[in-house]
Amino acid sequence: MAARLTTRAFTAVRPALRSPMGIRSMATVVHPKSPSQTSTVEEPAASPDAKIKTFHIYRWNPDEPSSKPRMQTYTLDLNKTGPMVLDALIRIKNEVDPTLTFRRSCREGICGSCAMNIDGVNTLACLCRIPNDTKQETKIYPLPHTYVVKDIVPDLTQFYKQYKSIKPYLQHSAPAPDGKEYLQSKEDRKKLDGLYECILCACCSTSCPSYWWNSEEYLGPAVLLQSYRWLADSRDEKKEERKAALDNSMSLYRCHTILNCSRTCPKGLNPGLAIAEIKKEMAF
Amino acid sequence: MASIVRPAMLRQTCLATASKRTFSTKLSSFPAINKPAASVLSRPVVRSAFVRDALPGAIRVAAFHASGRQPILPPLPQVINGTANDAAPVPPANPSHGSYHWTFERLISAGLIPLTIAPFAAGSLNPTMDAILCATILIHSHIGFESIVIDYIPTKRLPKTRVLFWWGLRLATVVVGVGLYEFETNDVGVTEAIKRIWHA
Repeated sequence: MAARLTTRAFTAVRPALRSPMGIRSMATVVHPKSPSQTSTVEEPAASPDAKIKTFHIYRWNPDEPSSKPRMQTYTLDLNKTGPMVLDALIRIKNEVDPTLTFRRSCREGICGSCAMNIDGVNTLACLCRIPNDTKQETKIYPLPHTYVVKDIVPDLTQFYKQYKSIKPYLQHSAPAPDGKEYLQSKEDRKKLDGLYECILCACCSTSCPSYWWNSEEYLGPAVLLQSYRWLADSRDEKKEERKAALDNSMSLYRCHTILNCSRTCPKGLNPGLAIAEIKKEMAF
Repeated sequence: MASIVRPAMLRQTCLATASKRTFSTKLSSFPAINKPAASVLSRPVVRSAFVRDALPGAIRVAAFHASGRQPILPPLPQVINGTANDAAPVPPANPSHGSYHWTFERLISAGLIPLTIAPFAAGSLNPTMDAILCATILIHSHIGFESIVIDYIPTKRLPKTRVLFWWGLRLATVVVGVGLYEFETNDVGVTEAIKRIWHA
């Protein structure tokens, strides 16, 4: 209803606004005023108690494929910026440089979009506080050993393809006894705690040296954690098939318990433990 | 290592290598396969035609870089098998390279702990125990080096190097095995040797 009203109002107004250049150019100013006639909005002068923090951010533009990636430096007043690194990035994009590209969605650590390497640690920008020490300069890179789409946006195609390969869904042959849902005991449900919380941000996988060298075949900690989430589920009936899919030299056993995954996980999960549990289940 | 490799991971590196060729060859001499890449890089080609002597300077800057221009096993341009929505292929089950191998490896590693402590705890130097210790260490190190070969020499990219290292490792294990056998049978044995060095 609202849409139709808007359309009608729009068609009523359109002839008056129509320019010789067509509808697409409606937003352009046809006769720009000279700069002397416009009012100028100047940036307010920096206050004396400003906490100026320097951010070095990795930049690469796919539209200029022949130019090398570079680090760009931005300075922000921390008094006017939110507490998290994502706040700083959003402020840079809004107020300083709109060409800066990054992924973000929920800004509260539940979507996993803003995973990036901040000061050498893979983490979610929205869960990472800006260090208060203004002498220390923050460096922001895309997730290590990923193909870069633009600036700090990594290409996670292989990661998602691997996630799909472990069949991340409940596999059950018979319909549920009550025709509605598969039930499980409270104890069985407890086994999934620490596994189901994973948001697939790829922080752990891209921090794993084994995954750096063999990402084509090794599944990586995040996908193995999800694999264990379905192996540990009491309702799943395809455990043997799931185990057989991991039972080769590459998919699972490239894990050498380096444990970068557990150290870096921004959600505080333990992929290293989940991988060890898979190995234990498959051993005997 | 990672920081050296990272810049080379970018998609642009594949185009950069192509651009080297565009500097040296005319656009028209490209085969049909290289057409898309050539069209993307048509601007640098035109620029290089006007600014010829820009090229040596660029080479000088590249040579000044601390990191090597040809890193070991640089990453290839991104390849997506099938569409982005296809699942990654699942390799066939092979327990002798998977779960059995891992269990065997763990048993060997766990067995080494008592075998290492036993001669010092017992205070006696039984040649049989010494031989078992040697054999276990040999198998343990063989499996360890095998892992290194699998990790760092991917079959897909370096099939010949992989085979070379594979047989080189086996040869080395056999040579060390023969050496340890000689040392155990004709000399004092490993535990006694360590004891003598310790007290030397």
